[in-house]
Amino acid sequence: MPNKILLAVSLSLLLLAGCDLGPSNIESATARQILHLGNGTEPKDLDPHTVTGVPEHNIISALFEGLISVDPATLTPQPAVAESWLISDDGKRYTFTLRDNANWSNGDPVTADDFVWSWQRMLSPALASEYAYQLFTIKNAQAFNHGELQDFSQVGVKAINSKTLVVELENPTPYFLSLLAHYSTFAVHPPTILAFGDRDQAGTLWTRPGNLVGNGPFTLDSWRLNYIIRVKKNPQYWDHQTVRLNEILFYPIDSALTEERMFRTGVLHATSSTPLDKIASYQTNDPDKISIDPYLGTYYYRLNVTEKPLDDVRVRRALSMSIDRQAITDSITKGGQIPAFTFTPPNTQGYFANNNSIRYDLAQAKQLLSEAGFPNGEGFPEIELTYNTSDGHRRIAVAIQQMWKLALNINVRLSNQDWKVYLSRIQALDYSIARAAWIGDYPDPNTFLDMFVTDGGNNQTGWSNSQYDQWIASAASETDEKKRYQFFQQAEQLLMDESPIIPIYTYTRVLLKHPQLKGWEPNILDIHPYKYVYLEDSTIDGGQ
Amino acid sequence: MAADNLQQYQDLVFDQGRSPWQDAWYRLKQNKLAIISLNFLTVLVVIAVLTPWLAPYGYETQNLALGASGPSAAHWLGTDIHGRDLMTRLMYGGRISLMVGFAATAVSLVIGVLWGTVAGYVGGLTDTVLMRIVDILYALPFMIFIILLMVVFGRSLLLLFLAIGLIEWLTMARIVRSQVMNIRNQDFVSAAIVTGLSHWQIISRHIIPNIIGPVIVYITLTIPSVMLLEAFLSFLGLGIQPPQSSWGVLISGGVETMEEYPWLLLFPGLTLSATLFALNFLGDGLRDALDPRATSNQ
Repeated sequence: MPNKILLAVSLSLLLLAGCDLGPSNIESATARQILHLGNGTEPKDLDPHTVTGVPEHNIISALFEGLISVDPATLTPQPAVAESWLISDDGKRYTFTLRDNANWSNGDPVTADDFVWSWQRMLSPALASEYAYQLFTIKNAQAFNHGELQDFSQVGVKAINSKTLVVELENPTPYFLSLLAHYSTFAVHPPTILAFGDRDQAGTLWTRPGNLVGNGPFTLDSWRLNYIIRVKKNPQYWDHQTVRLNEILFYPIDSALTEERMFRTGVLHATSSTPLDKIASYQTNDPDKISIDPYLGTYYYRLNVTEKPLDDVRVRRALSMSIDRQAITDSITKGGQIPAFTFTPPNTQGYFANNNSIRYDLAQAKQLLSEAGFPNGEGFPEIELTYNTSDGHRRIAVAIQQMWKLALNINVRLSNQDWKVYLSRIQALDYSIARAAWIGDYPDPNTFLDMFVTDGGNNQTGWSNSQYDQWIASAASETDEKKRYQFFQQAEQLLMDESPIIPIYTYTRVLLKHPQLKGWEPNILDIHPYKYVYLEDSTIDGGQ
Repeated sequence: MAADNLQQYQDLVFDQGRSPWQDAWYRLKQNKLAIISLNFLTVLVVIAVLTPWLAPYGYETQNLALGASGPSAAHWLGTDIHGRDLMTRLMYGGRISLMVGFAATAVSLVIGVLWGTVAGYVGGLTDTVLMRIVDILYALPFMIFIILLMVVFGRSLLLLFLAIGLIEWLTMARIVRSQVMNIRNQDFVSAAIVTGLSHWQIISRHIIPNIIGPVIVYITLTIPSVMLLEAFLSFLGLGIQPPQSSWGVLISGGVETMEEYPWLLLFPGLTLSATLFALNFLGDGLRDALDPRATSNQ
């Protein structure tokens, strides 16, 4: 018996000791320069060529670097792997000179051939990358991706020597350099890919810790599923003197609420989202810990136009016109978001969409629905609205469900899905209505509008319109900005007339950010090159 | 027992005689807590049945401009984030929670009692086979089982009842089996066999009435656990879907905003706790009432 008592006492002591966690992450972070970031959800993969999401982007931009990077505040293109570049007079030929000291994390030099090899991988039909169209501005890239061209040497990318890369474009593309800062155009390490599978094979083990070879400021140290992804400073990185952080830890946390709690208890430096109900209290009590910045992104719903009754444009417009977006931004999201009636956010590099198509108009919505054969919603089948698990998405969905019920008398079933399931279902068009968001990859309307060309990798609505494709193509070959934007306006007008998507609001980036976090400049793409980020205690107040 | 009660008791016994059921009912009535609980549950069921006529608002009627507001004259228990009346949602939620509680328990009762009785009564190889099946189902992770059912049959309220019932009957079967085995070897059963009753008659007349005590007690414990299970499933998106609510859904929603809007957690939480308490007190009372040996041992 005494033994048992002793055991019980020592066990409870052990438990008590467990409660004393010592200094929190934040308190010890400055000295050790370890950044703790909330990252929303478990990434689908860490292969720059097969992912599309923001959580993946956050990690990949630590592990890889493109030819170009962007200035953290102004987003202007800056040299990265490419030390310098020349642009021909007609704007269609780019000659990049790669840095001599740009190395892979295993010590191999990053060569021009690596980029050629990687872009061939990205464009190969077998890999079926959803982002392949990012490279379609390169000569013959689209034909190669669609399988019309078998010979990659015809595609406009050549390695002149190991450090010189020449790229021929279809059209002079004003945003081409910004595009090269996006992870879909990054190079991967060919021997590593080949060691774990074929070049055009997705989902192999090459992205696992120990296998992954990158060229970014950090290397992958460990990946514990649904717990933590840890990256460490990469000594092989050409600019490693600039990098001040020693480690970054990414926490995949779906729940904004859990993230906020972790932020408050000093586990995280910044969150990926903010609980909607806490925005107001942070603004009054801790204004230095919350930042609300413009964000080049649109929150919208995709409609599967291949399925009845959403194949009818009148139904789609009725759905779109019966959503009271103002009520959603005022009463639900509450972070200064702007109701959206067009897909491209207003003032995207000086571009404004025309909108005389979609507005909040219940009478017309009702009329459209009855013209489509469902007077007062009669005979309208119950449709499913899919969203990835998140309290915020659920609230918006519940509000819209009720708006449709009241305005159109139609029933919608809500279905929440895990991120990976959600992505694969949308890609397979296995949905009726799906919540979506698009964050610009570079500051140009094209990053929004070229999504919806026929069979575009991120179209994922089944919608196709040759006139639209043509306008997007015309915009691509147009050099005059004004005319170019006119093509975009026409295209966007058509997109809204046809409504394969329902824009809901233009994002703002609402994040909780510890004052320690420095070098984290707000910008409309919410890109924060980690090499400029560092931690420093600014005040003596000690935070908590 | 007070003298008056004793007199009543004796009157009852000597004047009219009494069945074991009257006896049990009499003992239950002596237990104040159990009777209060019974009344509370009765009121709850009545409210749940009459909700469509009693509820002041529609359970899905939103008022986004109002948003979450505390208790007021217009909304006695306040409103949620979408401006929906909490009392209304609590009432409708109660319908579903109680329905799930009773229906799923009924499913588990039917299967569990039949299964356990057959296993315990027939014994031998049948018993072994039946109980190994129960063991195997026990080993099956129930979440996967429910997800599988949902995937195959789609999502519906009826299926939810069935799915939960299909999981909860296992323990019931074990309890019933052990009781039946115990009773089966007693003399009155042997006597019944000797008088030539069929097996079915023996089971229905002699065995089932004798195991009802423990079964009823177990039921009162199953209902709360089923209600919690439903809350859990709804939380995972496998149970009740918005805009419908159940107490579990309301509570899991309330937890998320308990710092900002405490009433959204407080009222559903109180209601569910009170119900669970009531069911447990009633279960206690019933056990004492139906199992006189346990009472006399105290």
